[in-house]
Amino acid sequence: MQQLDQKSIDEVLSEVPSPLPRILLAEDLRKSYGSRPALRGLSFSLQAGHILGFLGPNGAGKTTAIRILTTILKADSGNFVVGGINDEYPEKIRRLIGVLPESMGYPKQITGIDYLTFFGQLYGKKKIAARTNAMALLEEVGMQQRAKSPIGTYSRGMRQRLGIARAIVNDPVVMFLDEPTLGLDPRGQQELLEMIRRVARERNTGVILCSHHLAEIEGTCDDVVILNQGQVVASGPVIEVMRRARQNLTQGNALRIQVPPPSVAEAQHLLEMIPKVLKVTVTSEEAGWLLLELKKRRSETSSEANPINNTILEALIRAEIHVLSFGYEGGRLQDVFLQLTSEVTEWPTDKT
Amino acid sequence: MANRQDIKGNEAGDDQPQSGLPAWWLFFTWELSDLWIGGKALYLTLTYSIILGVLSFVLASNSELSLIPPKEMVFELLKMSIAIGGVISLIIGADSISGERERSTLEWLLLTPTSRRQLVVGKYLAAISPWPAAMVISIPFIKLLSQGDEVYVTAVLWGGIFGSLLALALTGSGMLVSFWCNSNKTSYFVSLGIYLLILVPTQLPGKAQTGATGKLLKIISPMEATYHFLEKTLVNNRTLDELVIFILAPALFAAIILTLLIGYAAPDLRLEPGRESKIRSYWGRLAGSLVITCLLFALGSSPTMAFQGEHPANSELQISIDKVYSIVNAGDAILFDTQVTNMGAGESPPLVLAMNIINLDSEGDVVDPEDWSPERTQYIESLKAGESVDLSWRVNAILKGDYMVYIVVIPEPDSQEGTSQPVASSGIHVTVMPFTRLNPGGVLPYVIGVPVILLAGILILFWYRRRANDSDVTQ
Repeated sequence: MQQLDQKSIDEVLSEVPSPLPRILLAEDLRKSYGSRPALRGLSFSLQAGHILGFLGPNGAGKTTAIRILTTILKADSGNFVVGGINDEYPEKIRRLIGVLPESMGYPKQITGIDYLTFFGQLYGKKKIAARTNAMALLEEVGMQQRAKSPIGTYSRGMRQRLGIARAIVNDPVVMFLDEPTLGLDPRGQQELLEMIRRVARERNTGVILCSHHLAEIEGTCDDVVILNQGQVVASGPVIEVMRRARQNLTQGNALRIQVPPPSVAEAQHLLEMIPKVLKVTVTSEEAGWLLLELKKRRSETSSEANPINNTILEALIRAEIHVLSFGYEGGRLQDVFLQLTSEVTEWPTDKT
Repeated sequence: MANRQDIKGNEAGDDQPQSGLPAWWLFFTWELSDLWIGGKALYLTLTYSIILGVLSFVLASNSELSLIPPKEMVFELLKMSIAIGGVISLIIGADSISGERERSTLEWLLLTPTSRRQLVVGKYLAAISPWPAAMVISIPFIKLLSQGDEVYVTAVLWGGIFGSLLALALTGSGMLVSFWCNSNKTSYFVSLGIYLLILVPTQLPGKAQTGATGKLLKIISPMEATYHFLEKTLVNNRTLDELVIFILAPALFAAIILTLLIGYAAPDLRLEPGRESKIRSYWGRLAGSLVITCLLFALGSSPTMAFQGEHPANSELQISIDKVYSIVNAGDAILFDTQVTNMGAGESPPLVLAMNIINLDSEGDVVDPEDWSPERTQYIESLKAGESVDLSWRVNAILKGDYMVYIVVIPEPDSQEGTSQPVASSGIHVTVMPFTRLNPGGVLPYVIGVPVILLAGILILFWYRRRANDSDVTQ
């Protein structure tokens, strides 16, 4: 057995000061498929009741990381601990986790309640208790009306809800959700995310949410880990990651402003009159978006940029143009993500 | 600052209370329900019953084939039953893991807090469930074709034992293939390829089976050993003592496959199949070995050469036979006695008595007595001057026609290079009449009834599912 190194664990823990207990700690996880590295030293921790977003482009190693942490795959090196159980005991770890895999199938002929009862029994419940629990879970995810219908008749959204119910059938300490909103309509996505937040809050379950939808991570997660080509390129609380990135990204001196579409032309004309505004571009006339390029010296910090921001806002307010949105270009998680994942690392090629 | 205690509960973790049911049992019942309520096993057994019904009807009604005695019809039916049962077992086994991969349901099962071995054992037990059902379906057909002959009990007993051994092995083989395949298509293709290779020895021409390699293959090929055992036991009335060696191949086949499956492959069950190159090399080696075995078999097979030397006369021995002519139905037994007398002045050497049967309808073709009698030769230590010994013989009439049955007495040569003069008895002219008791009309209720009952079961299942679904949606 590979023991976790005391010093390095404490170092990792000390990075995120919080009174909440860590329910998952991963340290330097590495995995290669042949000569191609999929994961190159993943380290992070998760607190109870927190939602941690896993972000990264395709092939970044998100699914590999989740499969290692859910004991489906074995890491080449590194360690992890879930709820106090280290990775030497995969069966015990599986008792503590709930998973909604990215590609999941269901037996079509089985009813939702029978499906959950079966998994409840596998987690040690007697049949009657498992069935009662299954019904309670279906109610929790709003599926009680279709409890006795074959799963083959469920819509995709209903299957995702059933998948969430399946993931919490053992009341897990950590839940892994890999692209849970994939293929759902916006309302379905919203409802599912709300459900995930509720489950995390009410059950005090840590959630690892893997998603391509950046707004989803931004709006749902407390923490984020951004992966690129198997490496962590940014991690920490979502707000902190965005703040750090904003400091870097606002060097370009750009603002994004949204006004009502009928006021776009007037706002453009007005803003072009302001001395420190270099250029005003209408990026979306229908939505009322304007992009402002500002004159600013490189040495100027973002806090010193506030006077020009105030000038712009003041001008718009005086002209009685409603400001619907006002922010730095590059201050969204999407911008952080694009910047951090734009660099392409050359893989060592397999000469054999 | 958080410390290590935050994340370190206990290293081994606490075992949760168990439901009282072992995980393999839960997987077994789950898979069983999926197989049978899902319909796959039902469809396969329905197809199986239709094929058996058609075969029974053909055997019973075809004017040529109906001349076959009940024992042979039962054997043919059992052969077909085992062959199709084997395919069903293989298909179910081949779908078990790769099918889960293809339907993206394997990950759910791997995420449960149980060992991989328990999962595989549960799935395996469910996968072999179609064979007992198939055997139960075949019992009425065996009963029908046996026409009250005692062969019915023997056929069910040995068919059940051999069929079960092959079902265990073939289901396991399918599952092993399934372990290393990502898609059902590949898994089916490879499994059926292996099945065909296993069937090869049963399809070789008769002469190819007489060489040393051919005889060896009969013993080591599970399918050929099964067919040989059943044929000799059911049709030729051979005793178990003579044939017990033929049970080894299917039994070993099942044991090896089960060991590989449960002992070797099961703990390594993964979400993704093995590497492609690994598959190629593994199956390549297996296929190569089988091809080489087949080639060796073909090369080693050669017609046996009969010794055709000239023999000196020996008029001191006499053999008489108590029958001259007999008319029997195909399938009936002919019992007769012979008496061997030493007419000489001295003691005779040890004597070997051999039965011969000649087909008078086919230009004197020799009939293999092995097929007709459980006892082709008898041995006498020696006869004193004037001494006689009586011996009893049994011949089972297999096919219609005119035959000559006679016994040859062969004195044992007195030296390694010496020879002796055989003495032949007079012959018994046996006329075998076709077996005509079977009424083809009597087959039809079974031929139609069994598949209809299964079909009704499937329809009731569909109706029940639909009703349950409709009522649930309208709630």
